[in-house]
Amino acid sequence: MIIDINFIGLIIASIMASAVPLILASCGELITERSGVLNLGVEGMMIIGAISGFALMTVTGSLIIAVFGAMLAGVLISTIFAFLTQTLITNHVATGLALTIFGIGISAMIGKNFVGIPGKEFPVLFEGLKDTIPLLGPILFGHSIVFYFAFALPFITSYFLKKTKIGLIVRAVGDSPESASNQGINVRLVRYACILYGGAMSGLAGAYLSMIYTPQWIENMTGGRGWIALALVVFSTWNPIKILIGAMIFGGLTIIQFHMQAIGVRIPVQFLTALPYIVTIIVLVVISRDSRKIRLSTPSSLGKSFHKDN
Amino acid sequence: MNTNLKISNITKIYPGCVANDNVSLEFNSGKIYALLGENGAGKSTLVKILSGVIIPDEGKIYLNENNLKLNSPLDAKKNDIGMVFQHFNLFETLSVFENLIIDSDEQRESLREKIDTIMKKYNFSIDLDIPVLNLSAGQKQKVEIIRCLIRSPKVLIMDEPTSVLTEQETSELFLSLKKFSAEGILIIYITHKLKEVMELCDEVAVMRRGKLVSVSAINNENVESLATKMVGQNLKTIKKKKEKTSSDQLINIINLNFISEDPFETNLSDINFSVNRGECLGIAGISGNGQSELFQVLSGEIISDKNSIEFNKNYIGDLNPQERREYLMAFSPEDRLEQAAIPQMAIFENVALNNFKSSNFFNNGLINENKIKEHSKKIISDFNVNTDNIELKSQFLSGGNLQKLIIGRELITSPDLLICFNPTWGLDVGAINYIHETLIKINEQNKSIILISTDTDELLKLSDKISVIHKGKLSKIMNADEVTSEKLGILMGGGN
Repeated sequence: MIIDINFIGLIIASIMASAVPLILASCGELITERSGVLNLGVEGMMIIGAISGFALMTVTGSLIIAVFGAMLAGVLISTIFAFLTQTLITNHVATGLALTIFGIGISAMIGKNFVGIPGKEFPVLFEGLKDTIPLLGPILFGHSIVFYFAFALPFITSYFLKKTKIGLIVRAVGDSPESASNQGINVRLVRYACILYGGAMSGLAGAYLSMIYTPQWIENMTGGRGWIALALVVFSTWNPIKILIGAMIFGGLTIIQFHMQAIGVRIPVQFLTALPYIVTIIVLVVISRDSRKIRLSTPSSLGKSFHKDN
Repeated sequence: MNTNLKISNITKIYPGCVANDNVSLEFNSGKIYALLGENGAGKSTLVKILSGVIIPDEGKIYLNENNLKLNSPLDAKKNDIGMVFQHFNLFETLSVFENLIIDSDEQRESLREKIDTIMKKYNFSIDLDIPVLNLSAGQKQKVEIIRCLIRSPKVLIMDEPTSVLTEQETSELFLSLKKFSAEGILIIYITHKLKEVMELCDEVAVMRRGKLVSVSAINNENVESLATKMVGQNLKTIKKKKEKTSSDQLINIINLNFISEDPFETNLSDINFSVNRGECLGIAGISGNGQSELFQVLSGEIISDKNSIEFNKNYIGDLNPQERREYLMAFSPEDRLEQAAIPQMAIFENVALNNFKSSNFFNNGLINENKIKEHSKKIISDFNVNTDNIELKSQFLSGGNLQKLIIGRELITSPDLLICFNPTWGLDVGAINYIHETLIKINEQNKSIILISTDTDELLKLSDKISVIHKGKLSKIMNADEVTSEKLGILMGGGN
């Protein structure tokens, strides 16, 4: 059997494409969690982003409005979360779960009118270069702008946290909001900003699904990717580069198990479907088991409400 | 240039408590001022007002005749008021340099130079690129001080700075503070330790129950006069009668080791000691040197090798705290509201948590409330707990009353051994005296005590034998009357 080397390139590219929404949502949630806020509403924010993007694209016909509209929708729904948890000091876990349920419900309601409408083609970059290099050509070229952004994001996030002043403030707030507040840092403002940023990235992840990955609206189309994104953040021990690795493994196994099902490998389908989840978690646990490093990168105040009293 | 700080008619009222009652004070640079008072006297509230953390209900603050509006810590910083809090305001997982640059507007390189200059000038040596959690308490405090010095403050406020320091670190700190003062920084030093006031300060202001009691030059005062002002009454000092104790061994720790997976905890290595009946073994050390781990291993919160703890001729290393209690051990942990009692539960419910098979608190799985309440009332009256409402949630008891309740709960079953960890931490002098008397009484009844404490004076007062824990290792066990606080200080710092 002769395998076309470009075919392998195409498979790798499809793995990368399936990792995009996970990377976007995880990197957003990572910033939120680094500031000490646990937002379990990623799935809800993603699905809101998905329907908003698709609906705006259909109604306005503008891809730019649709993409930014989806991010704005993510910001708006995360503002609800931020208001509840930071201003009204509600419990992070309960509020996040409510946000997901709310997001799934409202997206289904809006989405009723958009079922069965075909999506628009999203422009890709460097299409012409695809065939210039064997193997690498299909991997590197011919993708959407969101795709390139997603693969740059873990590195940008890492740089932001380690090298910039604002990144340092985010980490400080996640480490000890009390100390930060006593240093004159506005903890609530920082946390609002991080929550809203997380919302924007989840919205973008959703828009990628409904506008680029599978350009159509299907109810519940995020299919648990928001939860995987959350798991990636924790199991990567809040390290953006490990998120990239985890997302690739997860995306890779998802694609491969489809192919295995297609060629009729005699393994129960349920096991194959579960495989990406199991392997991703095992790999991330193994690469992140240095307890000292975990201690240094875990936001100490994660999920704890901070209330400044006078 | 001279700095003049004036606070006038500061009042801060919390529900049920007047923290600061019309306090007026004036400070001038060139002198070191002590703000002296017991816990709850209102001195921490006052300095938090000065540093912008708390906003007063009434009153004004003037710095060089300018009226300051301190609505946030940022305002205090902008007005050149620096503050080193009792509980450090550091970010444990960030590096020292990151901790320092976070509230600075300077560029990395110029800040680094500035820090290096400060460290050279005052003989500090700290690695700027390691995470703060790897530093000792003394080093952490230096980081806090550097953080203030970077802004060249006019006023430097130190809130109970020596509570976590060794004797040596304390004298180093005093030297630095005297240097700062000579350079024109106005220093306000908050403490409840009288000796430090006498040693360091020029003037002393005493506070009691939110009110300013007196302001005087240190030359006109002595330890006794200050103590009387601070407490408001003459205190009888208690002394332990040192007698020959029995040679009847009660507990014997044999090659006890504990290796933790948490990088925040200290490993214990080769712990060996024994305690005889009627004896008090004191374990000194700076907090974070393995005391908490040692307490947990002794109490059974951490299970160890069965043969490493021999109690009353039984090997009990693998038993949990409940099972150890059945062998007549009793425990009073450091953290009263987190480990010793459950804050949201009533007094009598907390009493019931320490139940024995013989105490009959529970019948067939049901709570025998009458029995427990009767028992609780006995503890409250026997141990002088200042309340008659046993249904009160324990979080509303003062520290002293809660500690008396806990010690009472542990002692009412007349155990053979009481293990306590910082039993008087954060208590006022009256409560401390009561606890000390109680502990002495236990020894007189031929019962034993293991006293893990960071308070050297307390250890010297109560112990028959003393050992020092440093980085999870115990020093050799010494007779208490051969030990001085200086010697303990050296051992606590890791010397010989």
